[in-house]
Amino acid sequence: MSYQNWLDYLQSAEKNSMMSGKLRKVHYKFPDGRQMAEEYNMDTGIVQRRAWRKSKQLMGEPEWEIELGEEPRQLSWGSKSTAGGGGGDADNNMSAPEFTVRESNCTPLLTKRVTKKNIEWRIRNLPYSLEVYSVTAEPELHAIVVRTSNKKYYKVIPVPDLDRCGMPPIQGNISIHHQFNTLIITYQKPDILCEMEAQVLLLLKNVETETDMDDLLKGLLAK
Amino acid sequence: MGETEKIEVRDITRIERIGAHSHIRGLGLDDVLEARAVSQGMVGQKDARRAAGVVVQMVREGKIAGRCILLAGEPSTGKTAIAVGMAQALGTETPFTSMSGSEIYSLEMSKTEALSQALRKSIGVRIKEETEIIEGEVVEIQIERPATGTGQKVGKVTLKTTEMETNYDLGNKIIECFMKEKIQAGDVITIDKASGKVNKLGRSFTRARDYDATGAQTRFVQCPEGELQKRKEVVHTVTLHEIDVINSRTHGFLALFSGDTGEIKQEVRDQINNKVLEWREEGKAEINPGVLFIDEVHMLDIECFSFLNRALESDMAPVVVMATNRGITRIRGTNYRSPHGIPIDLLDRMIIIRTVPYSEKEVKEILKIRCEEEDCIMHPDALTILTRIATDTSLRYAIQLITTANLVCRRRKATEVNTEDVKKVYSLFLDENRSSKILKEYQDDYMFSEINEHEEEVATAGGGGAKRRIDTGDGDAQPMEH
Repeated sequence: MSYQNWLDYLQSAEKNSMMSGKLRKVHYKFPDGRQMAEEYNMDTGIVQRRAWRKSKQLMGEPEWEIELGEEPRQLSWGSKSTAGGGGGDADNNMSAPEFTVRESNCTPLLTKRVTKKNIEWRIRNLPYSLEVYSVTAEPELHAIVVRTSNKKYYKVIPVPDLDRCGMPPIQGNISIHHQFNTLIITYQKPDILCEMEAQVLLLLKNVETETDMDDLLKGLLAK
Repeated sequence: MGETEKIEVRDITRIERIGAHSHIRGLGLDDVLEARAVSQGMVGQKDARRAAGVVVQMVREGKIAGRCILLAGEPSTGKTAIAVGMAQALGTETPFTSMSGSEIYSLEMSKTEALSQALRKSIGVRIKEETEIIEGEVVEIQIERPATGTGQKVGKVTLKTTEMETNYDLGNKIIECFMKEKIQAGDVITIDKASGKVNKLGRSFTRARDYDATGAQTRFVQCPEGELQKRKEVVHTVTLHEIDVINSRTHGFLALFSGDTGEIKQEVRDQINNKVLEWREEGKAEINPGVLFIDEVHMLDIECFSFLNRALESDMAPVVVMATNRGITRIRGTNYRSPHGIPIDLLDRMIIIRTVPYSEKEVKEILKIRCEEEDCIMHPDALTILTRIATDTSLRYAIQLITTANLVCRRRKATEVNTEDVKKVYSLFLDENRSSKILKEYQDDYMFSEINEHEEEVATAGGGGAKRRIDTGDGDAQPMEH
């Protein structure tokens, strides 16, 4: 029940930070070769996006894996797009033949976001009504599991935020909601998690922030 | 049109062609490394096989780098057979590179580069990597091809587990895989997301009653549980050479398939060695040293030998097995003579296994095994005659007579090869002895005979007689080995 490990881990990283509009972007380089990028909203102090890059062994640059937030929208399908990020219609299919296999764009799509009080998951493209779903907390798996009674969808959602402060997921904190083909799962943040996030923000305060490139450019143009 | 072509290719790959050593399945040793008389296609050579068994054990333990073993013996006494047996005994996990001494002479690559590539091909690295795979039962599969017959194909597949169902779009390359594997609804498959490799695990139990009859090799498996996409730790076995090629920036990994690797810089190799050692310490990779087999090692020249001297001292060196059929002969590239045509300093680093000529009984066993391998039923009398031929001429000639006699026998619509068939092919095809006897008798009738004689006289007169004799000796023995 402590987040000290996570704080130490963040502390050990080589950190870089920059501002872009209302976002503060922080880049972590951990001693074990992993990299993490975060985007904080400056108004609320909430993480909007977080992505990991784990070092790969054999060849090539590893891909960014998004833990939190939306995947950047792509107009045409990339070769290795994992989830349906944008509207890939038939024409786009023809123009990008390099992909091997991908989910079709009507399959359920999971995104996660964090608000001040809650962690939220949205699963789009799920047309079934609310009775179909059962969302359970499974402490042994350190995850929340979504099941459907018609056996159309099943997902184990890991909750890394809770793992970091050593908390198991609790059924009582989960509430679900369904509208516009979207299942929304809301998990109320326990106090310790809020505390951890505050500590992380304190930690980041000491990281020097580079000047915003946009401002810099504007300043130069003005002269 | 494309469809029929594909089917043909599949059929060819299924038929295994029968090579000179395809009857060998191992070294034929029991648990305590004693050689059984006839086992796994190996006959006789008990001492040599036992020695090879010890070497195999040494390789399996994988602790000792850069040992060198020489298989020495007369032509057709089973040196290559023992090497093939070692390869089989080591299994597919351990890299076994087989090359011939003359393979290193290429215009595109220096000799030492070819040798170091061969050495690095013989070191395997097992790398554990996490990949994303999709595992599920095929519910529905649609592949649409354009009416013109060419162009992009469009594919969709629906996969399910016991808990869920998802639709996937298929890329062009993976459609080919699906067609090659003949995947249809009811099959349980895995798809490696990164590489696009499709693997058929079997048919789902729920579909067991779809057909009245199924092939013997049809496996029934449970429909997978849980999520369709899983992260699984997979183990790749690659050789150091493959890592070299991938990381040599000028070529990229496509060079692996084209085979056009060119020279790889020593710096790249050093970097990779360090990286691999690092991975090993982190527990990500395991080094799996294998065997490099160099047949006809007397074809290497003095530079290669001195390179090997140094290369074997590196701790990334594999166990090197060499074979030669030469006695005391000239080292290639020098005028010095040395046992087996190998410099003494390299010989000093080797342990030597000797193969001895086969006895008549063993020859008969080998011929019998070959008959089985080639699906040829032979009458015992014919086999005795063939054994006789083998002892009088050579084992290879007798083995070649099996195939031809079998063809003759089939032409007269019989199933069993009898003595007449053997006699017939014996008269149809000459062995080396008879052929050279004829050559000697009718020398004068052949073309350029005078010039040859004249040249030889000049050579002896010129004082290079000894050298020339060795060279012609080489020429005689060469066809025997192949």
